[in-house]
Amino acid sequence: MGRLLQPGAAIAVGLIFLVPILWMLITSVASDADVFTFPPRLWPAWDFSNYAKAWGKSPWLTYFGNTVLIAGSVVLLVLITSLLAGFAFALMRFRGKGVLFLLVMSAMMVPQTVLLIPNFIMAQKLGWYDTYLIQIVPWGASVFGIFLLRQFFLTLPKELFEAAEMDGAGPLRMLFSVAAPLAAPSLVLVALNSFMGSWNAFVWPYIMTKSDAVRPIEVGLQAFYGTEGTDWTGLCAAVSFTTLPIIVLFLFLQKYFVTGVYGTQGSVRG
Amino acid sequence: MAYLLILPAMLIFLVFTIGPTIFTFVVSTFKWNWLNPDQNKFVGLANYQMLVDGSQDPPFAATLLTSGYFVGAMVVGGTAISLGLAMLLRQARRINVAARTAVFLAHVTPLVATSIVWVWIFNPRFGLANLVMSWVGIPNIDWLGNSRFAMPAVIIYSLWHEIGFTTVIFLGGLTTISTELSEAARLDGCNAWQEFWNVTFPQLRPVAIFVIVVSSVASLQAFTQFFMMTGGGPGFDTATLGFQLYQQAFVFRKTGYAAALAVILFSITVALSILQLRTTRSLGRTV
Repeated sequence: MGRLLQPGAAIAVGLIFLVPILWMLITSVASDADVFTFPPRLWPAWDFSNYAKAWGKSPWLTYFGNTVLIAGSVVLLVLITSLLAGFAFALMRFRGKGVLFLLVMSAMMVPQTVLLIPNFIMAQKLGWYDTYLIQIVPWGASVFGIFLLRQFFLTLPKELFEAAEMDGAGPLRMLFSVAAPLAAPSLVLVALNSFMGSWNAFVWPYIMTKSDAVRPIEVGLQAFYGTEGTDWTGLCAAVSFTTLPIIVLFLFLQKYFVTGVYGTQGSVRG
Repeated sequence: MAYLLILPAMLIFLVFTIGPTIFTFVVSTFKWNWLNPDQNKFVGLANYQMLVDGSQDPPFAATLLTSGYFVGAMVVGGTAISLGLAMLLRQARRINVAARTAVFLAHVTPLVATSIVWVWIFNPRFGLANLVMSWVGIPNIDWLGNSRFAMPAVIIYSLWHEIGFTTVIFLGGLTTISTELSEAARLDGCNAWQEFWNVTFPQLRPVAIFVIVVSSVASLQAFTQFFMMTGGGPGFDTATLGFQLYQQAFVFRKTGYAAALAVILFSITVALSILQLRTTRSLGRTV
């Protein structure tokens, strides 16, 4: 009895957490008549026309393109800034290092919502309101990234760099030809962390932009929800095709996602 | 040379995080004019006065209470459930690994996307939640439109979304503690419950504290699910601090007052983070 209880409970837990996602998929292929009945029809009707219907109603390709462009740029910037700063904080000596590192770590304590008002005012002054720039540049440095790479570089043996120095390599050569390649697993974590942050971003781009031409996918999805609020089959289809890329990415890179959780833990612990 | 390497990151933090944080304090002492910055008026602590005297709608005290409700439920519920799930799925069996994937999958879904799904689940007439209720004989509930049920509904969604993260943290904590002590306790005649509270849980305490702090900070700032599911309503019944900040600044255009709210939110977050650092440090010393 006890032997069956644990696996049974594990299966039940898994199913309970999957139900909302399954329900999203089922509704996305339901017929409109099925949706407005109670009790709801639990078996899908396999009506895929909802996808075509939802796809035709919003500039989804623009939204997807914007998200890919924004997330890609953020990831690139974060990788560069984290490599440079992580390397300096781990392996170089300079005055004020401790204070400056504390300053970086303290940036993590500031909630994003707190930054909305001042950055909105600044974006309008700079002429960055409703642009890609305001969605990319402020997220181009990551405390998580700097911390993680610093931790990694600290573990590398000193001899590695002494040998390179004997060969006449400067700090930049050392960073890019010796240290960076070794840091590849950490870089994947940092990239994934920033990519997910950009993809899921909502309140920042929602406040900082107004036109579809620069808005990312989640803001587009919210707008679609605002106009098609009761078309549940179409809505669930839109939620499905905007979310499935993330789900697939997660299933392929699950290990990195989980390690990333422990990474955040480490960075918060400072 | 070193300064050049840290310059790009420092510049971004200074311009978009540290500077704006200081600027928020400045804005909070002004009656800020949305359309014409020339008419900004320095008002000293008047915005904070409005927090204390409750002259705004909703009064600040009500916002704090609403936040307390949400944060309390998320911290207590989230910590207890994810600790329970981590214990249940502790062994790396195939079924457990699959269940962990399902639980964590919810966490990686975008808030906007799955909030919409849950609005559909909580639909007052055709929703899945009411189907479940009907199985136990409870008539249809207007989940998101009723002031008694709106907050619990958002909490249920938020727990579904956040528990994967904290469960993974507890699972990580469990791999670092010794099973020998637990086995010894079992041999000495402890039952599973006694063994958990006297042997396993004390070793997990630092992890539990981390989870509690992280989930209080996260739920204090929660915004998207409120925006999507209730819009802070009905009335202001689900207008938490994170949501009020947005609403006061960008809907009601009371920028100075919203900045004062931001200063409060910032202060609570910093206090929690310092508490977190202190506890993990002192624990680190004893271990």
